[in-house]
Amino acid sequence: MTLGYLVRRLLAVILVLFVVTFAVFAITMILPGNAAVMILGEYGTDEAVAALESRLGLNRPWYIQYLDWIGGILQGDLGQSLRLSLPVADVVGDAFWNSASLAVTALVSVTVIAIPLGVLAAIKRGTVADLVIGMFSYIGASMPEFVTATLLLIFLAGPALGLFPAGGFVSLGESVGGFSSHVVLPAATLGLILTAHISRQVRSEMSEVLSSDYIRAARLKGLRERRVIRRHALPNSLAPAVAVISLDIGYLLGGIIVVEEIFAWPGLGRLLIYALENRDLPVIQAITLVLATVYALSNLLSDIVIAILDPRVRYA
Amino acid sequence: MAGANTHGDGVDTPVLEVAGYSLRYATPSGPIHALKNIDLRVAHGQTHGLVGESGSGKSSLAWAILRYLPENAIENDGRLLLSGESLRDRTLSQILEIRGRRISMVFQDPSTSLNPAMRLGEQLSEVLIRHRGLTSQEALEESEAALARTGIAKPKDMLRRYPHEASGGEKQRVVIATAFACNPELIVFDEPTTALDTITAQQILELFNQLQDETSISALYISHDLGLVSRVADVVSVISSGEIVESGTCAEVFQTPRDDYTKALLGAVPNPKQWLGVTEPPPEAPALMSAKGVTVEYGRQSLVGQLLAPKPTHLGAQDVSIEVRKGELVGLVGESGSGKSTMGKVLSGLQDFDGSVRFGDRNFARLSEIDRTYRRAVQIVFQHPDASLNPRQRVREILSRPLKLYDIVPPKERAERIANLLEQVRLPREFADRLPHQLSGGEKQRVAIARAFAAEPELVICDEITASLDVSVQASVAELLMNLQRQTGTACLFITHDLNLVRQLAHRICVMQHGRLMDTFHRDDAERPDRNPYTRALLKAVPPPASQAA
Repeated sequence: MTLGYLVRRLLAVILVLFVVTFAVFAITMILPGNAAVMILGEYGTDEAVAALESRLGLNRPWYIQYLDWIGGILQGDLGQSLRLSLPVADVVGDAFWNSASLAVTALVSVTVIAIPLGVLAAIKRGTVADLVIGMFSYIGASMPEFVTATLLLIFLAGPALGLFPAGGFVSLGESVGGFSSHVVLPAATLGLILTAHISRQVRSEMSEVLSSDYIRAARLKGLRERRVIRRHALPNSLAPAVAVISLDIGYLLGGIIVVEEIFAWPGLGRLLIYALENRDLPVIQAITLVLATVYALSNLLSDIVIAILDPRVRYA
Repeated sequence: MAGANTHGDGVDTPVLEVAGYSLRYATPSGPIHALKNIDLRVAHGQTHGLVGESGSGKSSLAWAILRYLPENAIENDGRLLLSGESLRDRTLSQILEIRGRRISMVFQDPSTSLNPAMRLGEQLSEVLIRHRGLTSQEALEESEAALARTGIAKPKDMLRRYPHEASGGEKQRVVIATAFACNPELIVFDEPTTALDTITAQQILELFNQLQDETSISALYISHDLGLVSRVADVVSVISSGEIVESGTCAEVFQTPRDDYTKALLGAVPNPKQWLGVTEPPPEAPALMSAKGVTVEYGRQSLVGQLLAPKPTHLGAQDVSIEVRKGELVGLVGESGSGKSTMGKVLSGLQDFDGSVRFGDRNFARLSEIDRTYRRAVQIVFQHPDASLNPRQRVREILSRPLKLYDIVPPKERAERIANLLEQVRLPREFADRLPHQLSGGEKQRVAIARAFAAEPELVICDEITASLDVSVQASVAELLMNLQRQTGTACLFITHDLNLVRQLAHRICVMQHGRLMDTFHRDDAERPDRNPYTRALLKAVPPPASQAA
């Protein structure tokens, strides 16, 4: 991989993040009332609001406020939560790691399950295996999370089986077993749609690659089918799948908000809902910024992986 | 060159023997008979040319020999023998031992037959690892030697490259080295030069003859190009609709063809000595279109784009000047990427440019100045009628569009005009009701030509209009174009890579390379010794067909 390619991608990510901070900051300007009004509530007098405004620096021009805010972020200072009287960085930081443990578990299991399923469906095209995988994909892709979650709760956490706890959270640090049993249902809920989506994508890419001239050429060289699939077909069909996975991360970040609420998982999603209900603006800003950063960085990562899989991209 | 190396004395077991072999494909609309009672022998050290047009079954025979048939293939009990051993009763794992080791194949297009995500070295050495049990290190060393034999200057360097880092000719050399790697008994060449540029194709052909001399390999050489087969093959079989209609030594088939189909095929091969074109306009005829210093820069970027992902721009055309006089046919010749199609796009008003285009008494300095009047007067016919005809419109709609757009005839007379246009391109008037997929390739191209002439243009640009057609169809389309030119007096810019063809049609020929105009000459001066060296190289790469040269 060329260094220039990396540097250019990194520059693009920085540009995107800069635009995002601007958009996030603009929220404070667009929302009716400012932080001072929110803190003091509807009973705050005009004088009290004005006094708090000048204490918080809200009466300065917007670009000064923006630079001040950006400066804080760059130093790791995201401000003070309006409702929790705690630094935003601490509140959001804890929630971030909780969410990350859920999202990574979901994503890793999806990747490990979906790619082989897609490959299998493509190789066994037109057989019962392909049909079953295809049907599973359609059902999986057409069920929203709250339906999946409800079904999983009834069957696996209900009184009949009671295999997993219906909600709650144990951190990895406390107990690996506790974390594992709590993470299964939310991760499965998040993963079902993605598994369906990615396995279908891999199947269609793989089918196309398998009918290509170079696969025919590889077979006519007398290579064993295993090598044809693993060395010749797989890398070519994975690159587009990786691009889809990185787009799905965007979906995952949205889905996590619903899933955390259902399973009482104390992550960014629950915190965001709490902050929205309580108009805790600094927390909302911080979470939005974190989600955007995760999305941008995961796209960067997928670009790098694609460049490793497909040498033509490196010079594009 | 041809037939230089025939070791077989005819008594030995042939390397390949096909006897009484038939093949059909089961389809929902009934069986398609791809091969009928084929008999064919390739003797040791012999190159057997198999010539046929698209759909003749020549590729099906290759798949049958390599036992690479789709599931709906149904064979009769004919024989397929490799050095006397039947290929048909082998299990798949036995076939896998034979492919690549005893029979290998060279494919048509190296840009699609090589895996884009693997280094060339790995793709070459994997057959050595598979069939000769070498370690990857030994295989790479052996690959380097194999590649050196195909004339690659820095084989070690080439092995480390990916396909997109090599030229078409280099890639095809890798494919050829792979095919020769295990010293197979038979190599099947499936149109190995069709996807390459003229000069590259000539070099690959020379390489084939050189390797043939060195290794005395036996080869089945499949091609649609008679002229080309006459330069490599010892024995030729002509296949048409799944049947071999004629078979014999190269000299017999090309000089004294017996079968009517072979004769027609030979007659259709463009011969530069056979003039088909219209009468040349007098030298004092005024210029109809004259492009001066036309330059096209591809890949211009926005400011943000330059910042994030700067890419070098490249010049599609650089300072090109071309003139077409009234009633004249000018040939524009060049390899792929030479800029000839870029010029076609500029002149038909599809591509922005710097420089000037003068048409009649009007001047155009950029794309935005090109107006309706110009667009009506200059029509273009594209290479692939499949892509340029709307698949959902009937021929009637396709032809009525220019008639309506430019208001050529009153609405009442349109139906009659469409019928006339179809007759002009020698299609039955009932074809007006057909959809493009109900027409053959040649018929589609005729419709595309009729559409161009419907606007009653003064200049028609033909961009490789015969390149995707079979030889026999190509000849009739060229003839049709000449008739239309004779009737209408329309000038024509004929863009092609086929020098033999263009020399039959064009009064003057322009040669382009790397975006620059290299040479412009009158057809009488084509073979003058002081021609531009690049033109001479191009002419040398396409000698006239063997029978006609003899």
